[in-house]
Amino acid sequence: MAMAAVLRREGRRLTQPINALHSSLISQDQAPHGSRSISTQVVRNRMKSVKNIQKITKAMKMVAASKLRAVQTRAENSRGLWQPFTALLGDNPSTDVKKNVVVTVSSDKGLCGGINSTSVKISRVLHKLNSGPDKETKYVILGEKAKAQLVRDSKKDIELSLTELQKNPLNYTQVSVLADDILKNVEYDALRIVFNKFHSVVQFLPTVSTVLSPEVIEREAESGGKLGELDSYEIEGGETKSEILQNLAEFQFSCVMYNAVLENACSEQGARMSAMDSSSRNAGDMLDRLTLTYNRTRQASITTELIEIISGASALEGFPG
Amino acid sequence: MTLNLCVLTPNRIVWDSEVKEIILPTNSGQIGVLPNHAPIASAVDIGILRIRLKDQWLTMALMGGFARINNNEITVLVNDAEKGSDIDPQEAQQTLEIAETNLNKAEGKRQTIEANLALRRARTRVEAINVIS
Repeated sequence: MAMAAVLRREGRRLTQPINALHSSLISQDQAPHGSRSISTQVVRNRMKSVKNIQKITKAMKMVAASKLRAVQTRAENSRGLWQPFTALLGDNPSTDVKKNVVVTVSSDKGLCGGINSTSVKISRVLHKLNSGPDKETKYVILGEKAKAQLVRDSKKDIELSLTELQKNPLNYTQVSVLADDILKNVEYDALRIVFNKFHSVVQFLPTVSTVLSPEVIEREAESGGKLGELDSYEIEGGETKSEILQNLAEFQFSCVMYNAVLENACSEQGARMSAMDSSSRNAGDMLDRLTLTYNRTRQASITTELIEIISGASALEGFPG
Repeated sequence: MTLNLCVLTPNRIVWDSEVKEIILPTNSGQIGVLPNHAPIASAVDIGILRIRLKDQWLTMALMGGFARINNNEITVLVNDAEKGSDIDPQEAQQTLEIAETNLNKAEGKRQTIEANLALRRARTRVEAINVIS
Protein backbone atom coordinates (compact mmCIF):
# COMPACT_ATOMS: atom_id res chain seq x y z
CA MET A 1 0.00 0.00 0.00
CA ALA A 2 2.90 2.29 0.73
CA MET A 3 4.17 1.60 -2.73
CA ALA A 4 0.73 2.41 -4.08
CA ALA A 5 0.81 5.73 -2.28
CA VAL A 6 4.20 6.47 -3.74
CA LEU A 7 2.90 5.66 -7.16
CA ARG A 8 -0.10 7.83 -6.64
CA ARG A 9 2.08 10.71 -5.54
CA GLU A 10 4.28 10.18 -8.53
CA GLY A 11 1.19 10.08 -10.68
CA ARG A 12 -0.07 13.38 -9.37
CA ARG A 13 3.24 15.02 -9.91
CA LEU A 14 3.37 13.55 -13.35
CA THR A 15 -0.05 14.34 -14.63
CA GLN A 16 0.47 18.06 -14.36
CA PRO A 17 3.30 18.49 -16.84
CA ILE A 18 1.62 16.00 -19.11
CA ASN A 19 -1.65 17.87 -18.93
CA ALA A 20 0.27 21.03 -19.63
CA LEU A 21 1.83 19.35 -22.61
CA HIS A 22 -1.51 18.10 -23.67
CA SER A 23 -3.31 21.39 -23.41
CA SER A 24 -0.55 23.11 -25.32
CA LEU A 25 -1.15 20.55 -28.03
CA ILE A 26 -4.86 21.12 -28.16
CA SER A 27 -4.50 24.86 -28.40
CA GLN A 28 -1.94 24.52 -31.11
CA ASP A 29 -2.86 27.72 -32.78
CA GLN A 30 -2.01 29.64 -29.64
CA ALA A 31 1.36 28.01 -29.32
CA PRO A 32 4.37 30.19 -29.92
CA HIS A 33 5.17 30.42 -33.53
CA GLY A 34 7.71 27.95 -34.78
CA SER A 35 7.30 25.30 -32.04
CA ARG A 36 6.20 22.42 -34.16
CA SER A 37 6.98 19.34 -32.15
CA ILE A 38 7.30 18.73 -28.46
CA SER A 39 9.94 16.47 -27.01
CA THR A 40 8.45 13.18 -25.82
CA GLN A 41 11.56 12.32 -23.88
CA VAL A 42 10.01 13.16 -20.47
CA VAL A 43 7.02 10.92 -21.01
CA ARG A 44 9.22 8.09 -22.27
CA ASN A 45 11.40 8.32 -19.18
CA ARG A 46 8.37 8.22 -16.94
CA MET A 47 7.03 5.22 -18.73
CA LYS A 48 10.29 3.43 -18.25
CA SER A 49 10.41 4.15 -14.53
CA VAL A 50 6.79 3.14 -14.01
CA LYS A 51 7.49 -0.10 -15.85
CA ASN A 52 10.44 -0.77 -13.57
CA ILE A 53 8.39 -0.08 -10.47
CA GLN A 54 5.75 -2.45 -11.73
CA LYS A 55 8.34 -5.15 -12.21
CA ILE A 56 9.57 -4.69 -8.66
CA THR A 57 6.11 -4.78 -7.12
CA LYS A 58 5.22 -7.85 -9.13
CA ALA A 59 8.34 -9.62 -7.91
CA MET A 60 7.63 -8.60 -4.33
CA LYS A 61 4.15 -9.99 -4.63
CA MET A 62 5.50 -13.34 -5.79
CA VAL A 63 7.99 -13.45 -2.95
CA ALA A 64 5.31 -12.60 -0.41
CA ALA A 65 3.03 -15.27 -1.82
CA SER A 66 5.61 -18.02 -1.50
CA LYS A 67 6.63 -16.90 1.99
CA LEU A 68 3.00 -16.81 2.99
CA ARG A 69 2.46 -20.41 1.97
CA ALA A 70 5.37 -21.54 4.09
CA VAL A 71 4.35 -19.65 7.18
CA GLN A 72 0.62 -20.24 6.89
CA THR A 73 0.71 -23.97 7.61
CA ARG A 74 2.85 -23.37 10.66
CA ALA A 75 0.57 -20.64 11.93
CA GLU A 76 -2.39 -22.96 11.56
CA ASN A 77 -0.58 -25.73 13.41
CA SER A 78 0.35 -23.42 16.24
CA ARG A 79 -3.29 -22.59 16.87
CA GLY A 80 -3.86 -26.00 18.41
CA LEU A 81 -1.61 -25.33 21.36
CA TRP A 82 -3.12 -22.03 22.20
CA GLN A 83 -6.69 -23.22 22.47
CA PRO A 84 -6.31 -25.59 25.47
CA PHE A 85 -4.76 -22.76 27.44
CA THR A 86 -7.73 -20.58 26.73
CA ALA A 87 -9.96 -23.45 27.79
CA LEU A 88 -8.11 -23.85 31.08
CA LEU A 89 -7.17 -20.31 32.02
CA GLY A 90 -9.59 -18.36 29.90
CA ASP A 91 -8.86 -15.15 28.09
CA ASN A 92 -9.87 -12.26 30.29
CA PRO A 93 -9.09 -8.99 28.62
CA SER A 94 -11.22 -7.14 31.15
CA THR A 95 -9.25 -8.20 34.21
CA ASP A 96 -8.35 -5.09 36.17
CA VAL A 97 -4.77 -5.15 37.44
CA LYS A 98 -2.11 -2.67 38.40
CA LYS A 99 0.86 -3.48 36.23
CA ASN A 100 -0.07 -3.90 32.62
CA VAL A 101 2.32 -4.74 29.87
CA VAL A 102 1.26 -4.34 26.28
CA VAL A 103 3.24 -6.56 23.95
CA THR A 104 2.92 -5.16 20.45
CA VAL A 105 3.83 -7.56 17.69
CA SER A 106 4.73 -5.94 14.39
CA SER A 107 6.90 -6.56 11.36
CA ASP A 108 10.44 -5.43 10.70
CA LYS A 109 9.81 -4.50 7.12
CA GLY A 110 7.32 -2.10 5.65
CA LEU A 111 5.26 -2.12 2.48
CA CYS A 112 2.68 -4.37 4.05
CA GLY A 113 -0.45 -2.30 4.28
CA GLY A 114 -1.93 -1.16 7.53
CA ILE A 115 -1.20 -4.11 9.79
CA ASN A 116 1.49 -2.35 11.79
CA SER A 117 -0.48 0.81 12.31
CA THR A 118 -3.46 -1.30 13.37
CA SER A 119 -1.48 -3.03 16.09
CA VAL A 120 -0.02 0.28 17.20
CA LYS A 121 -3.46 1.83 17.33
CA ILE A 122 -4.86 -1.05 19.38
CA SER A 123 -1.84 -0.89 21.70
CA ARG A 124 -2.42 2.80 22.28
CA VAL A 125 -6.05 2.16 23.08
CA LEU A 126 -5.08 -0.56 25.57
CA HIS A 127 -2.54 1.78 27.08
CA LYS A 128 -5.15 4.45 27.57
CA LEU A 129 -7.75 2.02 28.91
CA ASN A 130 -5.38 0.60 31.48
CA SER A 131 -3.89 3.84 32.67
CA GLY A 132 -5.05 5.37 35.89
CA PRO A 133 -3.82 7.01 39.07
CA ASP A 134 -2.45 3.86 40.67
CA LYS A 135 -2.01 1.80 37.54
CA GLU A 136 0.78 1.75 35.05
CA THR A 137 1.12 0.37 31.56
CA LYS A 138 4.34 -0.36 29.75
CA TYR A 139 5.10 -1.36 26.21
CA VAL A 140 7.15 -4.28 25.02
CA ILE A 141 7.66 -4.02 21.29
CA LEU A 142 8.55 -6.67 18.78
CA GLY A 143 9.51 -5.46 15.34
CA GLU A 144 10.98 -2.33 13.87
CA LYS A 145 7.80 -0.76 12.57
CA ALA A 146 5.81 -0.51 15.80
CA LYS A 147 8.95 0.72 17.53
CA ALA A 148 9.31 3.56 15.05
CA GLN A 149 5.72 4.59 15.61
CA LEU A 150 5.59 4.27 19.38
CA VAL A 151 8.96 5.85 20.08
CA ARG A 152 7.57 9.12 18.84
CA ASP A 153 4.99 9.74 21.52
CA SER A 154 5.47 7.21 24.31
CA LYS A 155 9.18 6.72 24.57
CA LYS A 156 9.14 6.74 28.35
CA ASP A 157 6.69 3.85 28.51
CA ILE A 158 8.71 1.50 26.35
CA GLU A 159 10.27 -1.09 28.57
CA LEU A 160 11.84 -3.32 25.99
CA SER A 161 11.99 -3.54 22.25
CA LEU A 162 13.20 -6.45 20.19
CA THR A 163 13.79 -6.43 16.48
CA GLU A 164 15.07 -8.67 13.72
CA LEU A 165 12.83 -11.45 14.85
CA GLN A 166 12.32 -12.89 11.41
CA LYS A 167 15.89 -13.00 10.31
CA ASN A 168 15.81 -16.77 10.66
CA PRO A 169 12.67 -18.79 10.11
CA LEU A 170 10.56 -18.61 13.24
CA ASN A 171 10.73 -21.59 15.53
CA TYR A 172 9.40 -22.35 18.96
CA THR A 173 12.78 -22.50 20.69
CA GLN A 174 13.66 -19.03 19.52
CA VAL A 175 10.31 -17.62 20.56
CA SER A 176 10.41 -19.23 23.98
CA VAL A 177 13.87 -17.77 24.61
CA LEU A 178 12.42 -14.43 23.62
CA ALA A 179 9.43 -14.92 25.91
CA ASP A 180 11.81 -15.77 28.74
CA ASP A 181 13.71 -12.57 28.04
CA ILE A 182 10.55 -10.54 28.29
CA LEU A 183 9.43 -12.21 31.51
CA LYS A 184 12.83 -11.68 33.08
CA ASN A 185 13.01 -7.99 32.27
CA VAL A 186 9.47 -6.87 32.87
CA GLU A 187 7.30 -6.85 35.95
CA TYR A 188 3.71 -7.59 35.14
CA ASP A 189 0.31 -8.51 36.43
CA ALA A 190 -1.14 -8.93 33.00
CA LEU A 191 0.46 -9.20 29.61
CA ARG A 192 -1.65 -8.09 26.72
CA ILE A 193 -0.34 -9.32 23.41
CA VAL A 194 -1.49 -7.35 20.40
CA PHE A 195 -1.14 -8.93 16.99
CA ASN A 196 -2.93 -9.39 13.68
CA LYS A 197 -4.67 -12.72 13.51
CA PHE A 198 -4.58 -14.20 10.06
CA HIS A 199 -8.05 -14.81 8.76
CA SER A 200 -7.57 -14.96 5.03
CA VAL A 201 -5.15 -13.42 2.56
CA VAL A 202 -7.09 -10.19 2.60
CA GLN A 203 -8.48 -10.22 6.11
CA PHE A 204 -6.59 -9.76 9.35
CA LEU A 205 -8.20 -9.34 12.70
CA PRO A 206 -6.37 -7.23 15.22
CA THR A 207 -6.39 -9.44 18.31
CA VAL A 208 -5.52 -9.11 21.98
CA SER A 209 -4.57 -12.15 24.04
CA THR A 210 -4.26 -11.69 27.75
CA VAL A 211 -1.83 -13.65 29.87
CA LEU A 212 -2.23 -13.14 33.60
CA SER A 213 0.53 -13.47 36.14
CA PRO A 214 0.40 -16.52 38.46
CA GLU A 215 -0.57 -14.36 41.44
CA VAL A 216 -3.49 -12.86 39.57
CA ILE A 217 -4.58 -16.29 38.36
CA GLU A 218 -4.56 -17.60 41.91
CA ARG A 219 -6.43 -14.59 43.23
CA GLU A 220 -9.06 -14.79 40.52
CA ALA A 221 -9.46 -18.53 40.96
CA GLU A 222 -9.98 -18.21 44.69
CA SER A 223 -12.41 -15.35 44.43
CA GLY A 224 -14.38 -17.60 42.06
CA GLY A 225 -14.53 -15.05 39.29
CA LYS A 226 -14.14 -16.00 35.68
CA LEU A 227 -11.33 -18.35 36.59
CA GLY A 228 -13.33 -20.13 39.31
CA GLU A 229 -13.40 -23.25 37.20
CA LEU A 230 -9.67 -23.65 37.69
CA ASP A 231 -10.28 -24.42 41.34
CA SER A 232 -12.13 -27.59 40.43
CA TYR A 233 -8.87 -29.05 39.15
CA GLU A 234 -6.53 -30.77 41.45
CA ILE A 235 -3.10 -29.28 40.88
CA GLU A 236 -0.41 -31.92 40.75
CA GLY A 237 3.24 -32.31 40.13
CA GLY A 238 5.06 -29.61 42.06
CA GLU A 239 5.97 -28.49 45.53
CA THR A 240 3.32 -25.83 45.70
CA LYS A 241 0.37 -24.70 43.69
CA SER A 242 1.91 -21.32 43.01
CA GLU A 243 5.02 -22.93 41.58
CA ILE A 244 2.91 -24.86 39.12
CA LEU A 245 0.90 -21.81 38.24
CA GLN A 246 4.12 -19.90 37.68
CA ASN A 247 5.36 -22.52 35.25
CA LEU A 248 1.98 -22.72 33.63
CA ALA A 249 1.82 -18.96 33.09
CA GLU A 250 5.29 -18.93 31.58
CA PHE A 251 4.49 -21.81 29.29
CA GLN A 252 1.23 -20.18 28.32
CA PHE A 253 3.01 -16.94 27.53
CA SER A 254 5.59 -18.59 25.31
CA CYS A 255 2.91 -20.53 23.46
CA VAL A 256 0.70 -17.49 23.01
CA MET A 257 3.72 -15.53 21.84
CA TYR A 258 4.63 -18.24 19.38
CA ASN A 259 1.14 -18.23 17.97
CA ALA A 260 1.03 -14.42 17.90
CA VAL A 261 4.34 -14.09 16.13
CA LEU A 262 3.38 -16.65 13.51
CA GLU A 263 -0.07 -15.19 12.95
CA ASN A 264 1.45 -11.76 12.57
CA ALA A 265 4.08 -12.98 10.15
CA CYS A 266 1.32 -14.61 8.17
CA SER A 267 -0.77 -11.44 8.12
CA GLU A 268 2.29 -9.44 7.13
CA GLN A 269 2.92 -11.56 4.08
CA GLY A 270 -0.74 -11.57 3.17
CA ALA A 271 -0.97 -7.81 3.52
CA ARG A 272 2.19 -7.33 1.53
CA MET A 273 0.82 -9.57 -1.17
CA SER A 274 -2.38 -7.59 -1.58
CA ALA A 275 -0.54 -4.27 -1.28
CA MET A 276 1.91 -5.25 -3.98
CA ASP A 277 -0.90 -6.58 -6.11
CA SER A 278 -2.75 -3.29 -5.98
CA SER A 279 0.39 -1.28 -6.65
CA SER A 280 1.20 -3.41 -9.69
CA ARG A 281 -2.32 -2.69 -10.86
CA ASN A 282 -1.92 1.02 -10.19
CA ALA A 283 1.36 1.03 -12.08
CA GLY A 284 -0.42 -0.67 -14.98
CA ASP A 285 -3.15 1.96 -14.98
CA MET A 286 -0.59 4.71 -14.92
CA LEU A 287 1.35 3.13 -17.70
CA ASP A 288 -1.83 3.00 -19.80
CA ARG A 289 -2.45 6.68 -19.22
CA LEU A 290 1.13 7.57 -20.06
CA THR A 291 1.11 5.45 -23.19
CA LEU A 292 -2.06 7.18 -24.32
CA THR A 293 -0.55 10.62 -23.78
CA TYR A 294 2.63 9.59 -25.46
CA ASN A 295 0.90 8.20 -28.52
CA ARG A 296 -1.37 11.21 -28.78
CA THR A 297 1.57 13.58 -28.67
CA ARG A 298 3.40 11.57 -31.27
CA GLN A 299 0.36 11.43 -33.53
CA ALA A 300 -0.22 15.15 -33.12
CA SER A 301 3.30 16.02 -34.15
CA ILE A 302 3.06 13.71 -37.14
CA THR A 303 -0.20 15.32 -38.15
CA THR A 304 1.30 18.77 -37.82
CA GLU A 305 4.23 17.84 -39.96
CA LEU A 306 2.00 16.27 -42.60
CA ILE A 307 -0.19 19.35 -42.73
CA GLU A 308 2.85 21.49 -43.19
CA ILE A 309 4.21 19.37 -46.01
CA ILE A 310 0.89 19.08 -47.78
CA SER A 311 0.04 22.74 -47.49
CA GLY A 312 3.54 23.63 -48.61
CA ALA A 313 3.17 21.40 -51.64
CA SER A 314 -0.28 22.68 -52.51
CA ALA A 315 0.96 26.24 -52.17
CA LEU A 316 3.65 25.45 -54.73
CA GLU A 317 1.06 23.92 -57.06
CA GLY A 318 -0.64 27.29 -57.32
CA PHE A 319 2.37 28.68 -59.24
CA PRO A 320 2.38 27.31 -62.74
CA GLY A 321 5.70 26.43 -64.21
CA MET B 1 -16.66 -44.43 28.76
CA THR B 2 -14.01 -43.49 26.27
CA LEU B 3 -10.91 -41.55 27.06
CA ASN B 4 -9.57 -39.05 24.55
CA LEU B 5 -5.94 -38.11 24.45
CA CYS B 6 -4.58 -35.08 22.68
CA VAL B 7 -0.84 -34.43 22.67
CA LEU B 8 0.10 -31.00 21.34
CA THR B 9 3.41 -29.33 20.68
CA PRO B 10 3.85 -25.80 19.41
CA ASN B 11 4.59 -27.10 15.94
CA ARG B 12 2.05 -29.82 15.43
CA ILE B 13 -0.52 -32.16 16.86
CA VAL B 14 1.24 -35.39 17.74
CA TRP B 15 -1.70 -37.45 18.92
CA ASP B 16 -5.41 -36.90 18.83
CA SER B 17 -7.52 -40.00 19.30
CA GLU B 18 -9.13 -42.39 21.73
CA VAL B 19 -7.03 -44.43 24.16
CA LYS B 20 -7.77 -46.96 26.92
CA GLU B 21 -5.25 -45.88 29.48
CA ILE B 22 -2.16 -43.70 29.79
CA ILE B 23 0.71 -43.36 32.21
CA LEU B 24 1.88 -39.79 32.49
CA PRO B 25 5.28 -38.70 33.79
CA THR B 26 4.77 -35.82 36.23
CA ASN B 27 7.20 -33.96 38.43
CA SER B 28 6.02 -35.94 41.44
CA GLY B 29 6.11 -39.36 39.79
CA GLN B 30 4.05 -41.24 37.27
CA ILE B 31 0.28 -41.18 37.24
CA GLY B 32 -1.90 -43.70 35.52
CA VAL B 33 -5.04 -42.29 34.00
CA LEU B 34 -8.11 -44.40 33.33
CA PRO B 35 -11.52 -43.26 32.15
CA ASN B 36 -13.50 -41.09 34.60
CA HIS B 37 -10.44 -39.67 36.25
CA ALA B 38 -10.92 -36.68 38.54
CA PRO B 39 -10.16 -33.27 37.01
CA ILE B 40 -6.49 -32.59 37.37
CA ALA B 41 -3.95 -30.08 36.12
CA SER B 42 -0.39 -31.20 36.34
CA ALA B 43 3.11 -30.32 35.28
CA VAL B 44 4.64 -32.89 32.95
CA ASP B 45 8.26 -33.84 33.39
CA ILE B 46 10.76 -34.92 30.78
CA GLY B 47 9.87 -38.59 30.50
CA ILE B 48 8.00 -41.33 28.75
CA LEU B 49 4.29 -41.26 28.18
CA ARG B 50 2.83 -44.74 27.89
CA ILE B 51 -0.35 -45.16 25.93
CA ARG B 52 -2.52 -48.28 25.89
CA LEU B 53 -4.68 -49.03 22.88
CA LYS B 54 -6.62 -52.22 23.61
CA ASP B 55 -3.74 -54.57 24.47
CA GLN B 56 -0.97 -52.73 22.82
CA TRP B 57 1.30 -50.30 24.62
CA LEU B 58 2.85 -47.35 22.82
CA THR B 59 5.46 -44.95 24.11
CA MET B 60 6.09 -41.32 23.49
CA ALA B 61 9.01 -39.19 24.64
CA LEU B 62 7.76 -35.94 26.24
CA MET B 63 9.99 -32.95 26.80
CA GLY B 64 8.21 -31.26 29.65
CA GLY B 65 5.03 -29.24 29.75
CA PHE B 66 1.52 -29.49 31.16
CA ALA B 67 -1.39 -31.85 31.22
CA ARG B 68 -5.03 -31.25 31.89
CA ILE B 69 -7.53 -33.99 32.53
CA ASN B 70 -11.20 -33.21 32.58
CA ASN B 71 -14.34 -35.01 31.49
CA ASN B 72 -12.41 -37.91 29.97
CA GLU B 73 -10.41 -35.46 27.87
CA ILE B 74 -6.66 -35.48 28.38
CA THR B 75 -4.80 -32.57 26.89
CA VAL B 76 -1.03 -32.76 27.08
CA LEU B 77 0.85 -29.62 26.10
CA VAL B 78 4.56 -30.16 25.78
CA ASN B 79 7.59 -28.41 24.38
CA ASP B 80 8.28 -31.35 22.15
CA ALA B 81 7.02 -34.89 21.75
CA GLU B 82 8.07 -37.83 19.64
CA LYS B 83 6.49 -41.21 19.21
CA GLY B 84 8.84 -44.01 20.21
CA SER B 85 8.38 -45.62 16.82
CA ASP B 86 9.38 -42.41 15.03
CA ILE B 87 12.72 -42.01 16.75
CA ASP B 88 15.81 -43.18 14.90
CA PRO B 89 17.64 -45.50 17.36
CA GLN B 90 21.11 -44.75 16.04
CA GLU B 91 20.60 -41.01 16.05
CA ALA B 92 19.14 -41.12 19.57
CA GLN B 93 22.04 -43.19 20.84
CA GLN B 94 24.51 -40.77 19.31
CA THR B 95 22.77 -37.79 20.86
CA LEU B 96 22.92 -39.55 24.21
CA GLU B 97 26.66 -40.06 23.89
CA ILE B 98 27.19 -36.44 22.87
CA ALA B 99 25.10 -35.32 25.83
CA GLU B 100 27.18 -37.49 28.18
CA THR B 101 30.47 -36.06 26.96
CA ASN B 102 29.03 -32.54 27.16
CA LEU B 103 28.10 -33.11 30.78
CA ASN B 104 31.64 -34.18 31.61
CA LYS B 105 33.00 -31.10 29.87
CA ALA B 106 30.51 -28.69 31.43
CA GLU B 107 31.90 -25.96 33.64
CA GLY B 108 29.97 -23.75 35.99
CA LYS B 109 26.49 -24.12 37.40
CA ARG B 110 24.52 -22.98 34.39
CA GLN B 111 26.30 -25.22 31.94
CA THR B 112 25.99 -28.21 34.23
CA ILE B 113 22.26 -27.71 34.60
CA GLU B 114 21.80 -27.34 30.87
CA ALA B 115 23.95 -30.38 30.13
CA ASN B 116 21.98 -32.37 32.68
CA LEU B 117 18.71 -31.44 31.03
CA ALA B 118 20.07 -32.33 27.62
CA LEU B 119 21.21 -35.67 28.97
CA ARG B 120 17.79 -36.38 30.43
CA ARG B 121 16.13 -35.54 27.14
CA ALA B 122 18.52 -37.79 25.25
CA ARG B 123 18.06 -40.61 27.73
CA THR B 124 14.28 -40.35 27.53
CA ARG B 125 14.41 -40.70 23.77
CA VAL B 126 16.57 -43.78 23.97
CA GLU B 127 14.33 -45.30 26.62
CA ALA B 128 11.25 -44.59 24.54
CA ILE B 129 12.64 -46.82 21.81
CA ASN B 130 13.84 -49.59 24.06
CA VAL B 131 10.55 -50.08 25.84
CA ILE B 132 8.97 -51.43 22.69
CA SER B 133 11.70 -53.80 21.61
